[in-house]
Amino acid sequence: MTAPRRVLVALAGTEDPALVAQVARTLGAGDSRIEITLLHVEETGPRELAAHELPLRSGLWPAHSRNSVEQRLADADAQRATALLQAWHERFAAALPNAEIADLVAQGRPEREIVAAAERLAADVVVLSARPRTGPTEAGPRSLGHVSRFVVDHSPVPVLVARRSK
Amino acid sequence: MAGVIFLVTIGLVIVRPKGLTEAMAALLGAAAMVVAGLVSAGAAVGDVAGHWNVLLFFVGLTGSAAVAERSGLFEGLAGTAARLSGGRPRRLLVAVVAVGAVVAAMLSNDAAALVLTPVVYVLVARFGLAPLPYVLACTFVADAASLALPVSNPVNVIVTDRLGVSAVSLVPVLLPAAVASVAALLCCLLIIYRRELPVRAPLVPAPGSWASWTSVPRRLVAAFGVAIAAFAVASAMDLPLGPTMTVVWLLLLGVERTGQKHGRPLEGIGWSLLVFVAAMGILVDGLSSAGVTAWLAALVLGPVRDSPEAAMIVAAAAGALGSNLFNNLPSAFVLADAVHGAGLSQASAHAAAIGTIIGSDLGPNLTPVGSVATLLWFVILRQRGLEVSTWSYIRVGLIVTPITIVAALAVALLLGVPR
Repeated sequence: MTAPRRVLVALAGTEDPALVAQVARTLGAGDSRIEITLLHVEETGPRELAAHELPLRSGLWPAHSRNSVEQRLADADAQRATALLQAWHERFAAALPNAEIADLVAQGRPEREIVAAAERLAADVVVLSARPRTGPTEAGPRSLGHVSRFVVDHSPVPVLVARRSK
Repeated sequence: MAGVIFLVTIGLVIVRPKGLTEAMAALLGAAAMVVAGLVSAGAAVGDVAGHWNVLLFFVGLTGSAAVAERSGLFEGLAGTAARLSGGRPRRLLVAVVAVGAVVAAMLSNDAAALVLTPVVYVLVARFGLAPLPYVLACTFVADAASLALPVSNPVNVIVTDRLGVSAVSLVPVLLPAAVASVAALLCCLLIIYRRELPVRAPLVPAPGSWASWTSVPRRLVAAFGVAIAAFAVASAMDLPLGPTMTVVWLLLLGVERTGQKHGRPLEGIGWSLLVFVAAMGILVDGLSSAGVTAWLAALVLGPVRDSPEAAMIVAAAAGALGSNLFNNLPSAFVLADAVHGAGLSQASAHAAAIGTIIGSDLGPNLTPVGSVATLLWFVILRQRGLEVSTWSYIRVGLIVTPITIVAALAVALLLGVPR
């Protein structure tokens, strides 16, 4: 198998920074032909919960300028996405100096957006963390979070599930 | 007939057909009661006037919450919480719960849920963290802490006012019960999210980027301190809560207007809440005169009338059930009326009031998105292949609500019934 050329790295942002070294080791650092796309998906569910469901539940209280609340939440999400991707971009650039690195932000359900992006970019491999936030990342039952499980199930391209190196 | 009008009204309140607000629906229902001759026009006016204490209370409460929101107090509190947590996700969750509990106890549950949630959301995003656990913490703690004081939840005042019990006299029982339910909630959240909260936050925001107290006018902070002290003293003297709260609001408004940043004075008053409460009073009066609440009282409270402990537990269960079948305000109204008409001994009536407050305050947490109808809808969607992510926030309420109710009830039973 030739080394993958287009790599899609899906980041929740909370991954162990050791992920970078692991990806570099697997892909072969210094390979100038690699194009890496860093993808972060803004989950819109919590934002909708915060902006819609709460006033809905307490509809008797004065309607606070709902538009401005929605805008504040959307701005917060966008800023988080930018800051997270910037931090990870720097880490990947340091570990893989010859790779071309691009950032990508999507909105929606992470599991769906990751699969869709893999398809759209015609990626050779999708890289994601088994449980990006925390938890046991060694192999074993239930070691995959629901996002990585969905991607493994539905991805049209090979999936590399990163685990924390011991 | 009265029952039919009531149920149709509640149906409209829950479904909210296009353009019809809760307040309008309740008003229509109240009008129907009068037109059907179940409540005379004079009695309807008397009902509204009889609720003067509660209505004034809500004017003051919603007005004060609006002043607090405009002042940036919530941003300041959240910023302080973030600094104390040092940006460690677990500690940040504890801090959010603590701030939410204080805001809910002082300024009512809905103010905490509505105003604090966006503030916390923006704050958590700066740390690069997923907002869901924190957003849910805000909504749940708003209700869990709302047992604490009369100001914490409209239900508390409605129930005690209807029963002719002093709201302040229940504080020695309800405040510890609120502490217990908040502690239980925090334990649940930490366990549920043990895998989803990272050890450290991925981003470290510049400390200057947090909203701080500097933007909150000093005079207003002092005024809030004075307001809290004044309210506590007035409550201890058993002055009526409605006028006290209105005076507190006018004081805050006056201090706010000495600064540069202020809104229109009546901005943020919950008029629809006032209309809703007034209309609900007429509706329940109609139910009551038709004998529906007496029937309900005999059914629910009849078997337990001689045991205050049993009355408390039954009332809590009925409150929790009612707030999920309908909506917690109407169900609290009906239950309070039922308890009032059940002819319980004073001890049992007090115990039933505490139980009703616990059930109606904590019950709505079962589903963060509304009533049981919504929940069933989500369960069906899930069977048809909905992703786990939506389910993940429905599930939390199912776990948290029974546990917080049991914790609060246990403490209330342990402390006994105030005489």
